[in-house]
Amino acid sequence: MCVHLLTNSLTGWGVEPFQNAVYQIHSLGPVLPLIEWGFIFLPILFHGILGVVIIRSGRSNVKHYGYSANWRYAMQRASGMVALIFIFAHVFHLHGWFHVEPWLKYVAEPLGGAQFKPYNANSTLAQAFQVSWLIPILYVTGVAACVFHFANGLWTMGITWGVWISPKAQSRAGALCSGLGVGLFVVGLGAIVGVETTDVNEARQVENRMYEERTKDGSVLPNPEKLSGHGSTKEVVDAEGAIEARY
Amino acid sequence: MAQQKVVVVGGGLAGLSASMKLAELGVAVDMISLVPVKRSHSVCAQGGINSCNDQTRQLGDSEWKHFDDTIYGGDFLNHQPPVKEMAYWAPRVIDLMDRVGVTFNRTQEGFLDRRRFGGTLYKRTAFSGATTGQQLLYALDEQVRRREAEGAIRKFEAWDFLGPILDDEGVCRGVVAQSLLTMEIRSFPADAVVVASGGPGLIYGRSTMSMVCTGSAASRCFQAGAKYGNPEFIQVHPTAIPGADKLRLMSESARGEGGRVWVPRTPQDTRAPQDIPDSERYYFLEERYPEYGNLVPRDIATREIFDICVNEGLSVENDRMCVYLDLTHIPREELDRKLSGILEIYEKFQGVDPRDTPMKIFPAVHYSMGGLWAGYERSADGGLVSGSPDNQLTNIPNLYAIGECDYQYHGANRLGANSLLSCIFSGLFVAPGIRNLLSSHKQAASELPSSLFEGAVKQHQERHDLLLGRTGGSENPYLIHQELGNVMTRAATVVRRNDQLAEAYQQVSDLEARAQKCSLSDTGNWTNQNVVFTKALIDMFPIAKSIVKGALQRDECRGAHFKPDFAMPSLKSTDDAGRREEAEGWCDRFAANTDKWLKSTVVSLKDNEPDITYEDIDTSSIPPRPRLYGLVGAEVIDEVWTERLRQKQATQPEAAQPEAVAGSA
Amino acid sequence: MISSQHTSAKQFQVRVLRQDGPGQENRWEVYKIDHEPDMNVISVLQRVAAKGQTIDGRASSPVAWDCSCLEEVCGSCTMVINGRVRQACSALVDRLLEDKPGEIELRPMTKFPVVRDLCVDRSRKFRALQRVKAWVPVDGYNDMGAGQKQSMGEQEESYPLAQCMSCGCCVEACPQYQKVEVIREAGESDEAFEARKNEAYDNSFLGPAAISQAVLFNRNPTGKMNADERLEALKGPGGVHACGNAQNCVSVCPKGIPLTTSIARAGRAVTVYSIKKWFGS
Repeated sequence: MCVHLLTNSLTGWGVEPFQNAVYQIHSLGPVLPLIEWGFIFLPILFHGILGVVIIRSGRSNVKHYGYSANWRYAMQRASGMVALIFIFAHVFHLHGWFHVEPWLKYVAEPLGGAQFKPYNANSTLAQAFQVSWLIPILYVTGVAACVFHFANGLWTMGITWGVWISPKAQSRAGALCSGLGVGLFVVGLGAIVGVETTDVNEARQVENRMYEERTKDGSVLPNPEKLSGHGSTKEVVDAEGAIEARY
Repeated sequence: MAQQKVVVVGGGLAGLSASMKLAELGVAVDMISLVPVKRSHSVCAQGGINSCNDQTRQLGDSEWKHFDDTIYGGDFLNHQPPVKEMAYWAPRVIDLMDRVGVTFNRTQEGFLDRRRFGGTLYKRTAFSGATTGQQLLYALDEQVRRREAEGAIRKFEAWDFLGPILDDEGVCRGVVAQSLLTMEIRSFPADAVVVASGGPGLIYGRSTMSMVCTGSAASRCFQAGAKYGNPEFIQVHPTAIPGADKLRLMSESARGEGGRVWVPRTPQDTRAPQDIPDSERYYFLEERYPEYGNLVPRDIATREIFDICVNEGLSVENDRMCVYLDLTHIPREELDRKLSGILEIYEKFQGVDPRDTPMKIFPAVHYSMGGLWAGYERSADGGLVSGSPDNQLTNIPNLYAIGECDYQYHGANRLGANSLLSCIFSGLFVAPGIRNLLSSHKQAASELPSSLFEGAVKQHQERHDLLLGRTGGSENPYLIHQELGNVMTRAATVVRRNDQLAEAYQQVSDLEARAQKCSLSDTGNWTNQNVVFTKALIDMFPIAKSIVKGALQRDECRGAHFKPDFAMPSLKSTDDAGRREEAEGWCDRFAANTDKWLKSTVVSLKDNEPDITYEDIDTSSIPPRPRLYGLVGAEVIDEVWTERLRQKQATQPEAAQPEAVAGSA
Repeated sequence: MISSQHTSAKQFQVRVLRQDGPGQENRWEVYKIDHEPDMNVISVLQRVAAKGQTIDGRASSPVAWDCSCLEEVCGSCTMVINGRVRQACSALVDRLLEDKPGEIELRPMTKFPVVRDLCVDRSRKFRALQRVKAWVPVDGYNDMGAGQKQSMGEQEESYPLAQCMSCGCCVEACPQYQKVEVIREAGESDEAFEARKNEAYDNSFLGPAAISQAVLFNRNPTGKMNADERLEALKGPGGVHACGNAQNCVSVCPKGIPLTTSIARAGRAVTVYSIKKWFGS
C-alpha cells in the first residue's frame, strides 16, 4: 500500500513521472501477475476473510466504555470492512477484477469498471475519476480507512507480538504509528488531488508520445491492450500484506 | 476400606492451608464454602503476619519472646502449649508462604521487609503492601487450585454448612450442606470434619467483618453439642472507618508505619486539621503510653479512643464519634509503597485523600478471640505433640476447629498480625493429626449405613421446608438483625456494665423468640438468599447469648473484656514507701483475681441456653503477671510481682523458666 | 423524563434487571428509594430488599445479589451499574446521581451466565486460572527454608498483578470476551455437567486477568521453572492472540492492575517461545 500510494502520488508531479513509474512496474512482464496474486491479492483476501472472522468474535461496546483505545478497536474493525469493500471496488473500477476478454468487454466496462490503461496511466485515471464527484469521495474515504487500518494495525501488532510493552512504550509507539498514518494519508490525498487535477487531453498526448518513444527504442514492447481504447488488463499495486495485525 | 475423606468447612486461610496440607498427605478433601474461596474474609486482613526473624533476633528477639508477647498481650488467658508451638513455627510458616509466591515487601537487599505492630517492641511483621491477608489467601487458593486440578480436592463453593452429622455415639460422621443455588440439601460423609468458618462479626450488625461472617457454622456445631470457649472476648479494633453498611478496617499498619492518633485540644475544633498547630493537638496515646506510643495493644488503644470521645468529649465531630489518625507527615512515595491498599480504601469510600488530610476513625468490632473449644496434646517441652489427633479436636470426636473459629490462640486479646499466623499454623498443624486419626479408623464413613445420612438430610430438609412454608409470621429478619446488632454493640463491646449486660441478655432472648416468627418475602427454591439469611440469623442467638452471659458472669477486667467496676486502680501514693505498700496490696488483689478468673469460659448449650463452666489454663511456661500498660506505679508493681515470682520459683524449682520473667515489658 | 415526574429531590429510582433463573426471560423492575447521605449501591439494595415493592406498588421478591467484604477486596459484588461494570460497594450513590440524575440502573454482568437477578456464575474465571497453571509448583509444604531473594523492584512489579481479585470487570468490559453459557441438562450428573462446562470454557478466550496471572507466575523465581506450560496455554485456543487491544480491561480494573502491560509481556514471551520452539530449542 505504501508503494502504491507513493507511486500514485506521482500524479501530482506531472504526467511523465507517473507514467515512467508505471512503465517500470510493467517492465516485470509476465512475472507481474504472479507477484500481484502471490503477494497482494491472496494476502488481502486472506486478511479480509480472517478479519471478518475476528470481527465476528468480538462485540464492540464503545457506548458504555468510551475510552480512546476502545474507539480505535471499533474503528479498526470498521475501517477494515470499509477498506475491504473499497479495495474490491477500486480494483473493479480500474482493473475490472478478471483479465478475461468477454468479462471485461461485456460486464466490467459497461458497468464502469476496468478504466485504467497502464500505458495511458494518467489520462485513463483522470477520466475514471472525473466521471462523478462521488469517485473522489469514495477514494478519500477508502484511502483513509486503509491508512488507519494499517497504522493502527501496526500499533496493535506491536502489542500482540510484545514489541512495545509498558504504557509509556505503547504511547510512544502510538505516536510513531499515528505519524506514519497521517503521512501516508497526506500522500494518498496527494495522489487523488493529482488525478483530479490532471487534464485528460494534455496527458493523453504526453503518454502517447512516451509510448511511441519507448516502443521505438525497444524498451517497451508494443501492447495496444495497455492503451486506452483497447481491451484492458488488471493491475493493482497494493501492498497490504505488511499490515497483518494478527498473523 | 473405601476411600476416606475429610470435609473442610470454610475456605479462608485456615481451611485452605488445612486442605492443601491434607492433600499433600494423600487425604481426599471436600471443601465447603459459602463463597468462592478466593472471596473469603481473610482477604480483608491488611497488616501482616508475625514471626521472630533474623533481624529481630539480633536485637534480642526470639521465638520465646514472640510467645511471651502473645501470652502477655492475651492477658494470660491463652493456653500456652498451642501458642508456644505457633510462635516456634512462625518463621517456618512465613518461609513457606514466601516459597508459594506471596509477594512480601522486600528490603533493599532482597530480604523480607518487616514492620512493627502493636504489643511488641520488635519489627516482627512481614507484609505484602497493605493487603497481606489477600496475598496469603491467594497463594493458598492457588495451591488448592493446583490440588483440585490434580483431583485431590473437590470444592463446593456457594454451599452452606447446615451442621455436623453425629451417630448414636455422638461421633461426627460427616456434614449436611445446602447449595445456595439449587437449594439442594445433601450429606457429605466424612471421616473427619474440620470447621474453619471464621468469626461471628455479623452478630454485632456492623463490624469490620465480611457479610459472610455470621458465625452460623460454629453455632451449628455448638448446637450439635460442641463446646464454645471464651465467647465474651471480642476484639474491638481501635481504628475503623465508620460507614452505614459496614465499618471498614483501617489497619494497625497505618500506625505501624508512623501514623499518629490525636484530637484537637479544643473540643470539636472547627478548623481544618491541617490548620491546627501541634501545640493544640492532643496526641493522647503518645502522652499516656510513652514507651509504646501509638502502638499500644488493640484493647488499650480502643479504650483510650473510646475514653477520649465518650468521657472527655473530645471527639473530632459533634454528631459522630471519631478521632484523627494522621499520616500526612510521611512522604507520599513511602505511603504509596507501603500502605497504598488501605489508603485507597479510605479514599474510595470517604472521598478524601488521607495522604493530605488526617483520617477520621473510630473503634469497631473486629475479631472474636473466643470460638469452638478445641483441645491439644501437650509435649514435654510445653509445646504440642506434632501429629497428635487431639490437636484442634473439639469435644465431638472427629470434629476439628481451626482458625478464627477456634478459641485457643489469642486469649483475652489478640495481637495484631497474629491472626493470619494462627489461621495458617492451625491449618497446617491439624493435617498430620487428622491423617493419623484416619489411619486408626477401621471403616470409612461412606461405608456407614445410609440411614444415618438420609436421616440427617431429612431433618434439615424439614427445617428448611418449615421456614419456607411459614406464612403466619410477621417478623422481618433484616430488622431483627439490626436490633440484635444494636443491642450487642451497646452492651458487649468496649466498656461493659453488669446492669447493661443483664438487660441485653433479656433483649437478645426476646429477639430470639421473635426471630422464630420470621416470615420470608421469598419462598422460592432457587438461590433464595432470604431463607439462608434467616437461618443464619436464628443461629446467631446461641452465640450472642453466650457472649453476653460470659461477659456478665466474668467480674474482672481481662484483655478485651473491660468492666470499669472491676478495674485495678493505679497507685496513688507519691512517696516510695507508700507506693511499695500499695503495690503489695495491689499484687495481693491481683493474685486473688488470677486465682479466681484466670480460667477459660467454656459454654455448652443446654435446652438452648448457654451453660457456663470454667476451665483451668495451662500456664506452665510463663507464669501470669500483671499487664501494666500505662498504669501509674507500674514499675513498683512489676518489681513486687517479680520478687514474688522469684520466691515461688525458689520453692518450686520446676516452675517457669527465668526467661519468662525477663520478658516482662 | 420519568425521573422528573416521579422523583422528588429526596428520592431516586433504581432500575434493576431481574431474572429468576438461568436461561429464563429477564425483566426490568423499578423501585423508589429515599436518599440518605453516604449511600453506596449495597445500601440501596438493602433498602430495596426492605421495601419489598416496586414503584407501582406491586409486591416484589428480594433482589438476589452477591456481596461479602464491602471493601472492594473480595470482588463479590461486581455488577453493571449505569452501564459500566464495577463493585457495588464502592459505587457511591451521590457520585452516580451526579452523572445521571434521578436514576441508578443495575444489571448483572453480561459475560457470565446469570444465576439469579444480579448473581452470576463466574466459575469460568477460576477455570482460566487452572488453564494457565496460576500457582507456584512447590515440591510440598514442609519446611525447606525461605524462598529466593527478590529485589524491591521485582516485588513492586509483581504485587500489583497479585492483587487481582477475579472480580470479572476486565472481561465484562472486553469486547473480545463473549459469554459462554452451558445449561444443565435434565438428569445430568454434577461431574458430567462440570466436564461439559469446562470443555466449553477451555476453548474460549482466557481474558486479561488470567493472562496477567500467567505473567505473574512466570516472573516468580520458582514459577519460572514451568513457564513453558503457561506459555503453551497462552499460545493455544483462546490465548493471548485473542486479545483485540481495545484496552478496556486496564481502564475498568478496580485495582489498577497494568493488564495491557501483562498482555504485551505475554505476547512477547509467546513470540519468543514460538520462535524458539520452531527452531527446536
